[in-house]
Amino acid sequence: MPPVPPKDDVKATWAYLEAGVEKIMNDLRAGMDMKTYMGLYTAIHNFCTAQKAVAGTVAFSSHNNRGGAHLLGEDLYQHLIQYLKSHLQGVQERSKLHVDEALLTFYIKEWDRYTTAGQYNNHLFRYLNRHWVKREMDEGKKNIYDIYTLHLVRWKEDMFIGTQESVMRSVLKLVEKQRNGETIEQSQIKSVVDSFVSLGLDESDSSKSTLDVYKEYFEKPFLAATAEYYDNESKQFLADNSVVEYMKKAEARLDEEKDRVPLYLLNEIMAPLMRTCEEALITKHSQALREEFQVLLDHDKQDDLGRMYKLLARIPEGLDPLRTRFEAHVRKAGLAAVEKVSQEGDSIEPKIYVEALLEVHTQYQDLVNRAFNGESEFVRSLDNACREFVNRNKICKSGSNKSPELLAKYTDTLLKKSSAKMTEEDDMEKLLTQIMTVFKYIEDKDVFQKFYSRMLAKRLVQTTSASDDAETSMISKLKEACGFEYTNKLQRMFQDMQISKDLNNSYKEWLDSNLDSEDRKAAIDATYHILGTGFWPLNPPTTPFTPPQLIVTTYERFARFYNHKHQGRKLSWLWQLCKGEMKANYLKVVGSKASPLFQVSTYQMAILLLFNDSDTVTYDEMAAGTSLEKETLDPSIGVFIKAKVLIASPENAKPESGTSYKLNTALKTKKMKMNLNIGIKSEQKQEAEDTHKTIEEDRKLLMQSAIVRIMKSRKKMKHQQLVSETISQIKSRFVPRIPDIKKCIDILLEKEYLERLEGDELGYLA
Amino acid sequence: MASAAEPPKITLTTSDNIDMKVDRDVAERSILIKNLLEDLGGESGEAIPIPNVNEAVMKKVLEWCDHHRKDPPASQDDDSDSRKKSTDIDDWDQKFMQVDQEMLFEIILAANYLDIKALLDVGCKTVANMIKGKSPDEIRKTFNIQNDFTPEEEDQIRRENEWAEDR
Repeated sequence: MPPVPPKDDVKATWAYLEAGVEKIMNDLRAGMDMKTYMGLYTAIHNFCTAQKAVAGTVAFSSHNNRGGAHLLGEDLYQHLIQYLKSHLQGVQERSKLHVDEALLTFYIKEWDRYTTAGQYNNHLFRYLNRHWVKREMDEGKKNIYDIYTLHLVRWKEDMFIGTQESVMRSVLKLVEKQRNGETIEQSQIKSVVDSFVSLGLDESDSSKSTLDVYKEYFEKPFLAATAEYYDNESKQFLADNSVVEYMKKAEARLDEEKDRVPLYLLNEIMAPLMRTCEEALITKHSQALREEFQVLLDHDKQDDLGRMYKLLARIPEGLDPLRTRFEAHVRKAGLAAVEKVSQEGDSIEPKIYVEALLEVHTQYQDLVNRAFNGESEFVRSLDNACREFVNRNKICKSGSNKSPELLAKYTDTLLKKSSAKMTEEDDMEKLLTQIMTVFKYIEDKDVFQKFYSRMLAKRLVQTTSASDDAETSMISKLKEACGFEYTNKLQRMFQDMQISKDLNNSYKEWLDSNLDSEDRKAAIDATYHILGTGFWPLNPPTTPFTPPQLIVTTYERFARFYNHKHQGRKLSWLWQLCKGEMKANYLKVVGSKASPLFQVSTYQMAILLLFNDSDTVTYDEMAAGTSLEKETLDPSIGVFIKAKVLIASPENAKPESGTSYKLNTALKTKKMKMNLNIGIKSEQKQEAEDTHKTIEEDRKLLMQSAIVRIMKSRKKMKHQQLVSETISQIKSRFVPRIPDIKKCIDILLEKEYLERLEGDELGYLA
Repeated sequence: MASAAEPPKITLTTSDNIDMKVDRDVAERSILIKNLLEDLGGESGEAIPIPNVNEAVMKKVLEWCDHHRKDPPASQDDDSDSRKKSTDIDDWDQKFMQVDQEMLFEIILAANYLDIKALLDVGCKTVANMIKGKSPDEIRKTFNIQNDFTPEEEDQIRRENEWAEDR
């Protein structure tokens, strides 16, 4: 190393520096001694602090009017630029000797060497950085950088621009190799990425970097190559393989690309890379995928459906067509299931019907949960489809309101005591929940309510309910679904039963203290249900009836007690619902000394009691003694004949005037209790019809009250508006038909609740 | 052999060829030395030549560095106004700077050369304090400067800078 040159000699100073910089650039590995290092630094320091230059600038007539000391260093800076330019030109020349991986190796090696040298030079030129460069930058001079950044700028201009294209070509070739399953030197790509990122200089602030260079020269060609690669591959693959296989391939490819990012790419590329792959692998083939959807549905391929869902969920609006198809498919499946069970004719078993509905729902709910991730939009499609086939199917066509009726009947069979083994409580809960599943889809919820309350009333009055817990649970479920008002009456029915229980207890006490022993012996053991007229869906008896004297005394006694307790209440007796047990003292159970018990309706009781007075009773005497009408009397007698309790004479004579009846004293029975209180088929059918009829009536009332409520609060309203408002209020119970609403409005106009105003407006009349 | 607890030492060779042993962390208050040790490794034990500073000045500089060895390194944006405006100097530094003028300027030059910003600041502030409140003639006297303006020139400058006069 020559001695430090004279400080005021630019030429000598640069010649001295150039030797040092050259060594740093090309031969740093050989090491550098302290003396050389200090010599270079000192030479720059001395040059920049040389007195001569300062003296050369005349203080007042200077061309630069900076108002401060003139700092030296520009000469050195320019010399360095020239040096770097020519150095990089050499590097670029040599790069042309290489291609592919060898080029990458060369580029990375040169880059590393260059940047390391840049760090060194940055330290050696620190004095220049601190003073001359700083001053230039403070004054806002463009294109002046600290020495390290200058190195990067030169690399970008003199090396990168000329080589990036072939470098990227090599990188992309390497990536393609890897996509084809070969092992590659990933670290090379990572180094290239890092190098490109380093070159992203923020022109306005050299201490910051941007990703501009990387985005333009790496990300853009990388994404383009990716799109091209997968375009070709997916086309090829689909031509040779099934869609199902393709989905597996696409899924694997997407995972692969995702895993590639952390290996050697910048995290920023994740989103655009995924978008590019999704576009090539999914969007471009979405049509083919969707066409396969129906096939997969038909064969219930859950795994493949799940895969398709996951793929199409990745692209915008990818799932909408699937949802539409899914909805149509479920609707069709539901209709087909109903069609199948409806082949058994009109009298379809409620259980079979409901189970058919449930099966379809369960199957596709399971599919939604497993394959479609329980996604809410698919749940909605499922709900839409279920609502359709539950309310509009073949069975509903034969009679509207059929679904809620059958559902209510099925619920009744579940909640009724049955001879079959009691279902476990858990099972019951599960079954009730299933019922609620179907209930949710029922549009005519008022029909269900009507049937349900009738059947509940019957269960309560006839004490045939299987479990109070189950009943309560069902009601609370309905309440949860439809609100307090919907179940209000049902709950009142339960209350009445409880009150009646307490009432019977206090009546017994009252009897004990008010009846002498004589009367007590003769009294009939009876219990009473007091049912609030407004809450129970029960009709008065359809036939006149003269109760036997024995019963009259019994109920009159109770009526006295009740009136004493609640003055002013009117008790009317629903004879058709009453029943009792009679001991047939004239008979013995086979193999026992006890007499059998007949379980009978009150009407039957009245008939049998006639035989206490006479062994033979004629039909006319029966009719006169009970006052029952033929429609009720004849079937009641029929049960006795069939059970051989009574014998008609002449034999097999029809119940009509002229026939007479005798007790069959030779009746042989093995049962301690004989149930003769058998419901009559025609009665049940009649009841269902009645129920439907009251539904129509109730609906009219419901619509009218809704209309009046709306008008009362609005006072004035357009006709059209009123109709739609009414629909929205009633929708939760049933879907009203517009002509029906118009009819109701007409009725209200007639009754002068409403008046017509000008311009299609209606007004409320208080 | 230095025990493990003792801080590593390095040798500096001053311009008058005197070797000085000094704790490495003290010497590294100078960014120049710090960068050099980083770049070259500094494990060789080779003496570091400091061609622009003589022994007497280096002693003073190292005394200052030793006192300030535990100071936090200056942060990047230490160019803030407060540092520039304030002429406050802490007591130890004030005492340290009570040297003859020649030594004061030598210290400032050395701090600039060795890239010890804090010391450079203290030096410049000391000089600034010497100028503060003095008339041009007094300043000339303090720093032993010859007035090389002609009376005409001086008159012109005075007119140009009239606005800055403290009146």
